Amino acid sequence: MRLNSAILGYGAYVPKYRISTEEIARIWLGEGSGPNRRKAVASYDEDALTMAYEAASIALKMAKYPEIEAILVGSESKPYAVKPMGSILSDIFGFNKILGVDLEFACKGGTEAVQMISGMITSGVIKHGLAIGSDTAQGRPADDLEYTAASGAGAVVLGQPNGNEIAKITHSVTFVTDTPDFWRRPKEHYPTHLGRFTGEPAYFTHIMSSVKLLFEETGYKPSDFNYAIFHQPNPKFPVEVGRRLGFTDEQLKPGLLNDELGNSYSANTLVALNAVLDVSKPGDKILLSSFGSGAGSDTFVIEVVSKPDDDDYIPLREKLKKYVEIDYATYSKWRNKIIR
Amino acid sequence: MSKVYIKSVGLVPVGEHWNKSLTDLMVDASLNALKNAGNVKIDRIIVGNMMSGYLNNQEHLGALLASALGMKGIDSLKVEAACGSGGMAVHEGYVSIKSGEFENVLVVGVEKMKDADTSVLTKALAMAESAEFTQVVGASFISLNALLMKMYMNRYNVQEDHLDIFPVIAHKNAVTAPHAQFKKAFTIEDVKRSPYIAEPIRLLSSAPSSDGAAAVLLSSKPADVEILASEVSTNELMLSQRENPLKFEATEKAFKKAVEKSGIDSSKVDFLEIHDAFPIVAALSLEAMGYSEEGKAAHDAAKGKYNFEGDLPILTFGGLKARGHPVGGTGVYQVAEAYMQLSGTAGKNQVQGAKVGVTQNVGGIDTTSIVHIMRKVS
Amino acid sequence: MIPIAYWRNRKLYTRLIGSRCKKCGAEYYPPVKVCKKCGSTEIEEKEMPKTGTIVSFTKLTEPPVDFKDYAPIYLAMIRLDNGILVLGQLADAESEEIKIGARVMATIRKWTEDGQSGIIYYGYKFKII
Repeated sequence: MRLNSAILGYGAYVPKYRISTEEIARIWLGEGSGPNRRKAVASYDEDALTMAYEAASIALKMAKYPEIEAILVGSESKPYAVKPMGSILSDIFGFNKILGVDLEFACKGGTEAVQMISGMITSGVIKHGLAIGSDTAQGRPADDLEYTAASGAGAVVLGQPNGNEIAKITHSVTFVTDTPDFWRRPKEHYPTHLGRFTGEPAYFTHIMSSVKLLFEETGYKPSDFNYAIFHQPNPKFPVEVGRRLGFTDEQLKPGLLNDELGNSYSANTLVALNAVLDVSKPGDKILLSSFGSGAGSDTFVIEVVSKPDDDDYIPLREKLKKYVEIDYATYSKWRNKIIR
Repeated sequence: MSKVYIKSVGLVPVGEHWNKSLTDLMVDASLNALKNAGNVKIDRIIVGNMMSGYLNNQEHLGALLASALGMKGIDSLKVEAACGSGGMAVHEGYVSIKSGEFENVLVVGVEKMKDADTSVLTKALAMAESAEFTQVVGASFISLNALLMKMYMNRYNVQEDHLDIFPVIAHKNAVTAPHAQFKKAFTIEDVKRSPYIAEPIRLLSSAPSSDGAAAVLLSSKPADVEILASEVSTNELMLSQRENPLKFEATEKAFKKAVEKSGIDSSKVDFLEIHDAFPIVAALSLEAMGYSEEGKAAHDAAKGKYNFEGDLPILTFGGLKARGHPVGGTGVYQVAEAYMQLSGTAGKNQVQGAKVGVTQNVGGIDTTSIVHIMRKVS
Repeated sequence: MIPIAYWRNRKLYTRLIGSRCKKCGAEYYPPVKVCKKCGSTEIEEKEMPKTGTIVSFTKLTEPPVDFKDYAPIYLAMIRLDNGILVLGQLADAESEEIKIGARVMATIRKWTEDGQSGIIYYGYKFKII
C-alpha cells in the first residue's frame, strides 16, 4: 500500500514499576531468570486506557492539538470487552466527532491502527487521527511468557504531510495467515500458546514474509534504512530476524527495549518507534515491522523529516532511567492474580 | 418570646448495644427523660440523627418515635446536620419553644453504628462532605481531619504527641462517668503505640464508633437549667474551598453570637463540652472560641488549663473520645451532660459550683457549628 | 459508586474542568453556580492548571467501602498553580518520598470500579514530578 501520511506527534508511556525475571524465576523455579532482565508492570490503578491517555497526551502536545477525527486503539487487554477506549478518550481529549474503535490482532493491534488511520488520511477521508497501541499484558503465572508479558502504550498523531511533519509514512504492507501460535478464548483470563511453534512458523515466517513483500513492492534493501524496528517478544528474536533479513546490529540497537521493559504487546513497536524517533535525524529512513500472533505482520517505511518542536518533551530513554522494582507479591496483587 | 428551660434528661449508656435497635435506643432515652420530667405533656418530638437511612435502612424517625411512644398525632421531625445532628435537634427544639409555638419539646439524638462494617461506616461518615468531589476520590472523614492536622502541625510547629493531650484528658474524666463508652485512662505513650488510621491520626486518638441515644425535654416553664443561647453558623462544605482551613469560622461565629445573646462573660464559663472528634478538632475549636491563641491549644492543655481541676474543665464526662460518639446523639449528650453539671447531678464528675456551661457540637469539620450556652437557674 | 452521577461529572474528573467568575475572575474547582467571592451567577467553564504543590498529605489505611481493595490510599491537598486548593489522591505514592512543598502533576488513573461487571471510574490523581 502506498501511503501518504505524516507523523505529527509521537509519545510513549511505560509504567514506573519493574519486576526482574530473577524474581519471577525465584518463585517458580527457585533460581535462574528469563530471557530479559526486567519487565514493566502497571500499577493497580493503571490499565490500557490510562496508559493510552498518557502516551496520547504526549503525542497530541507535540502535534499541537490538531482536530482529531479518529482514535483507534490496538489492545488485547481492553478494560471493557464491549465499550471502546476511543469512547472514553473522546471526552477526555474533547474530540467527539471521531471514529473511535478498539482493534485486536494480538501484538499488532497498534500498527493496525497506524495503517488504518494512514489509509483514511491518504485517501483524504480525514485530516488527523490518533493511533495508539496499549496493553497490560497478562502473563500466565509459571508460564514462560510471564517473564516478558509487560505493560506500556505508544501513540502517534497522524496527519497530511506538509513538509513540517516529524516523519512521513510512505509505504506499508501486511501479511496474514491462519496460524494458531498464541490466542485467547473470550472467558479466559490468560492467553494460551504453542511454545516453540511461536518461533519459526509464526514470528519469523510472518515478519520475513512481510518485509520481503515490502522490499519487492518498493525496491528497497536493508542498506537503504538507517534504523530497523522489529516486534520484540524477547531480546533475541528481533536481533535474529534482523540479521536474517540483512540488517546490522547498529540499525537495530536504538529500537531494542525488551531486555529492560519486556513485551508490551500492542504497544511494543510503537514504543520502540518512539525511542528511535528520539535519536533519528531528518532524512533518515526507518523500517518498522510488527508481528501479531494468529498471525500477521505489518511493515512500514517511515522517512524522518524534522525533529519535534516541543520544549517540554523528554526523550523516552531519559524517562526510562527512573524506575522502582517490586516483588512478586506486589506484582500479583496489582495485576489481580490473587483470589480474594 | 418564651424562655427555654431543660426540664429533664434521659441517657442510654454509650457503647455496643447488640440487643438494641435504633428504635430501642431512642425509646429508652425518651422514656427515661419523660419519667424524670414527671407529668409533662409534650407537643413536639425532634429526632437528631445522621445515618439512619444508609446504615439502618430507616428514615422518617420523627414519626417512628412518635409511634413507638404511643404519641401518634404529635408534631415530629428528623433533623440532620452530619455529626451536628444532635446539637441541631436541640437548636430546633430551642427555636420551637422560644417562638412560642410549642411548650414542651422532646429532643432525642440517636445513632446506631455498630450494625455496619467499618468500611461501610467510613463511607457513611464521609457523606458529611461532598459526594461528587470528596467521596469520589476515596477520601474518608478521618483522612480529611488528618490533612488538616498536618497543616496545623506544619504551620505552628506542633508535634503529633502535643495534640494527643486531648484524648488523655477525655479518658481521665470518663473513668467515673457512668454512661461513658470507655472508662479507662491512658497516656500519650499509649496513644502513640496504637496504629495510624490516617497518619497522623491514630486509632487511640480518634473518637470511636458507638451506639447511643440521649434525650432532653425542653420546656417553656421554669426548671433547674435555662438555655440562654442556641446559635448556629456554617462554613464552606469542602475543606479545600476554605480560605483558611485552619480557622474554625463557624465555631467562632456561633460562639460569638451565643455569648452576645446570652450576655455571659465568656471568661467565667465553668465547663466546656467541645467536639473532640479528633485532637485537631479539639484544638481548633478552643482556638476559635478564643480560649487559646492560634496554635497554642495543645500547649495550654499541657499546662493543665483544660484539666478537670484546671481553669476551664473540658470534656467533663469524657467527650466524644471517651464518653463516645454515637454521631447523631452526641450533641444531645453534650447538652444532657451540661444539664447534669448545672443541676448538681453530675455525681463523681461534678464541677463544683457550676453555674454557666457551654456546649459546641459540629457537623463535618466545623462545617455546621452549634453552640449552646446554659445556666443554672438559682 | 453511582455510574450516572459519575458520567455527569466525567469531564470534571478527567480534565479538572472548574469555573471562572466572569465578574471578578475568581476560579474554582469543583465548579460553582454562585461566585463565593462576589456572589455573581455569571460563571463560565474553565479547565484548571494540571500542576501544583503539595500542601498536606496522609496515608489512609481504612478507606471507605468503594475503595476497600485499594488500601492504603494516599490523599493530598494540592495548591494548583492558579492558587486554588484541590483534594486528590497521589499516584505511585508508595514508592516516593512525599513532602509538603513537592511539585505534582495531574494524570488520569482508575479510581475504582463496580466489581467485575460494573463500570470503571477514571479520574484525576497527582503524580510527583
